[in-house]
Amino acid sequence: MFNILWNITVLIITFLSAIFTLLGVIGLYRFKDNYARLQASSLATTTAPFTYFILALLLSNDWQSRLRVIVIILFFFISSPITTQIIARYIWKSEGETER
Amino acid sequence: MKNQITLFSIYFILICIALALFRIFVGPKTSDRLMALAVISSLVLAMLVILGVQDGKSPYLDVALLYDIFGFLGIFAISRLIKEK
Repeated sequence: MFNILWNITVLIITFLSAIFTLLGVIGLYRFKDNYARLQASSLATTTAPFTYFILALLLSNDWQSRLRVIVIILFFFISSPITTQIIARYIWKSEGETER
Repeated sequence: MKNQITLFSIYFILICIALALFRIFVGPKTSDRLMALAVISSLVLAMLVILGVQDGKSPYLDVALLYDIFGFLGIFAISRLIKEK
């Protein structure tokens, strides 16, 4: 019973993470505006690796690797949205507002 | 089951990295290339963590932590020093 539930959860999270990366990378090509492209790429930068980390937490064998993944999650959760904000500031300084 | 899922995840991430790498070659402005570089950096980090969770490949997790730190510092340095053409 618990085995079946664990298998189903792992399959659902794998499927979800694959969808997030694909949507994030396709969004780099489909949007016309620079800011909209940044919004789509932040899916592939922050959300998709976070789902992969949850998958790694489920699939690991012992507590040693789980604690390392938790340390990686802590640093990643702070640094990755700051990266997106740095890129947004770079776009603002080089282009300014977009006209519609 | 675990081997198949990690193999599928690694191949899928490799396909997405190839798609984003094409954007670095093509992109007409510097900001496009910077965005694609951030995407590649985060996807490589995810691939390292999935690799490090398998049997007997535990040092990849330490590599992943350092790669996270240096990727963040690299994007920060590029955005400060390179101006838009």
